[in-house]
Amino acid sequence: MWTALVRHPASHIVLVSVVIQLVCVVAWAFFPNQFRYLDWLNLESMMRAIPLLGVVAIGVGILMISGEFDLSVGATYILTSYLMALAFQDGWPLSLAVLLAFVVGIAIGLGNGLITIVFGIPSFITTLGSMMFLRGVVRFVSSSESIIFQPGATMERILAGTLGPIQAEFLWFIGFSLFGYLLLVRHSFGNHVYMVGGNRNAAVAVGINANRVKIICFALSGICAAFAGVMSAVRITAIAPSGGIGLELQAIAACVVGGLSLNGGRGTAIGIALGTVLLFTIQDVLLLIGAPGYYLDMFIGGSVIVAVILNQWVGRRV
Amino acid sequence: MTDASSAPGVSPLLSLHKISKSYGHVRALIGVDFAIGHHEVIGLLGDNGAGKSTLIRIMSGVERPDTGSFRSNGQEIRIGSRRDSVAHGVETIYQDIALAGAMSITRNIFAGRELTSIFGFLRLKAMRRVAMDVLGHTVEISGINSPDLMIESLSGGQQQAVAIARAVYFKNRMLLLDEPTSALSVRETENVLHYISKLRDEGVSCVFVTHNVYQAYQVCDRFVVMSHGRAVLEVQKGDTTIGELTRFVISH
Repeated sequence: MWTALVRHPASHIVLVSVVIQLVCVVAWAFFPNQFRYLDWLNLESMMRAIPLLGVVAIGVGILMISGEFDLSVGATYILTSYLMALAFQDGWPLSLAVLLAFVVGIAIGLGNGLITIVFGIPSFITTLGSMMFLRGVVRFVSSSESIIFQPGATMERILAGTLGPIQAEFLWFIGFSLFGYLLLVRHSFGNHVYMVGGNRNAAVAVGINANRVKIICFALSGICAAFAGVMSAVRITAIAPSGGIGLELQAIAACVVGGLSLNGGRGTAIGIALGTVLLFTIQDVLLLIGAPGYYLDMFIGGSVIVAVILNQWVGRRV
Repeated sequence: MTDASSAPGVSPLLSLHKISKSYGHVRALIGVDFAIGHHEVIGLLGDNGAGKSTLIRIMSGVERPDTGSFRSNGQEIRIGSRRDSVAHGVETIYQDIALAGAMSITRNIFAGRELTSIFGFLRLKAMRRVAMDVLGHTVEISGINSPDLMIESLSGGQQQAVAIARAVYFKNRMLLLDEPTSALSVRETENVLHYISKLRDEGVSCVFVTHNVYQAYQVCDRFVVMSHGRAVLEVQKGDTTIGELTRFVISH
């Protein structure tokens, strides 16, 4: 039982998460007035902050396990939500406007995938290019103006409401993480993703269509970015064309902290989810102890490097 | 060219006729005939660049020949993809091990051929049970006590054994081993050679590609020597010696 736990590929991130949460809770227990970690207000703001990055990171992470990168998710996130708001403003029915966001998200993912596979270029380059291209598209359609999006009560309840004490967005984040787990661990497609990312030649040798697997993962990344865009548009009700800058790198950071390998073939859905939570926990702790904002970037940068070093060290040991 | 395995009345499991393949100006294979009979281990010998690996890749459907044809049990067949070769019972074990390191033994054994229930969800318990069975009976691999172990925690020989176990479980009738021992220690090599002779007893025919004549002589029934894209010698084990084979491989 114990060896099975230690051997589990997510054991390290789970252990680190448990330790950090315990330290925070103990600190709160001793200094409840200075370090308001378990105050309801603090928990609420955490639950609101985590899901956007969390949902994006699930898509980016599954793609990373298949051995590819997606740097265009930040641009996809803002373009899809902006187009949705624009269509809704033009009198489209809400359902069609939301559908448009998802169709554009899938199309961007498929485009990234097809260009990467057909021309055999690194996805890092493909999606760097599409990130810049899509940012240009956003500026073109927006004329650098923000847009208001007020979709009405039903949609607000679904994407930005609460269920009991829990924020709807947080439930969606849990839902996406669960979807990632089911896909990667319980479904045959997940087995193919790990095989393609871990040893592409081996995957082809056993008859897996590696290109198809990768293109589907690119599409998934696009869908997740689009969903995050729709979700945050409903929450914020105004979409600025400059939104989502840096989201792609934060998503990769969350994945790496969660134990994913930059070479593919390694990582878990729970790792991606906990990696995201960990980044926001660090941010939250720094805010609670009143550290200046630039500490945050320094801490996140540092933890990414430490995470990669730890991953490599663990990889060499087994 | 004589071919003892295709004696009257018994067609070979798989035969290749006049197979040619060029890469640009390089003629990798020139009109090669090759047959795999029932219950035999064939040693495919030759120096680097002789065309051994190209022949294996064509038999496993990864590459298509420019010209030539295939027959299986006397019937003309087509091998144009990995799917075709799988359908005719061909499995290949490569020199670099065809497994993913960060996946469990069970998941590797079933990669691409998962046991699934409705909507493609994995039958993990059934897969694990079969993997335990395969590891316990088909090939007894020393030191492996759980099908949940990650491939990267196994030694090279153990990994090769898992790859062979996978081939055997899927009831392949022909196993193509492309230099399976090149990355292994002496003792692990002995184990893999042991599996090969065990497979023949279970009715699986093997093509063992190597340039180590001594290893081939230990387990093979028949030898085919290749040189510069041609099959230059075909001989039964009883009709030759290690010394003769070695001289032949070196002199061509």
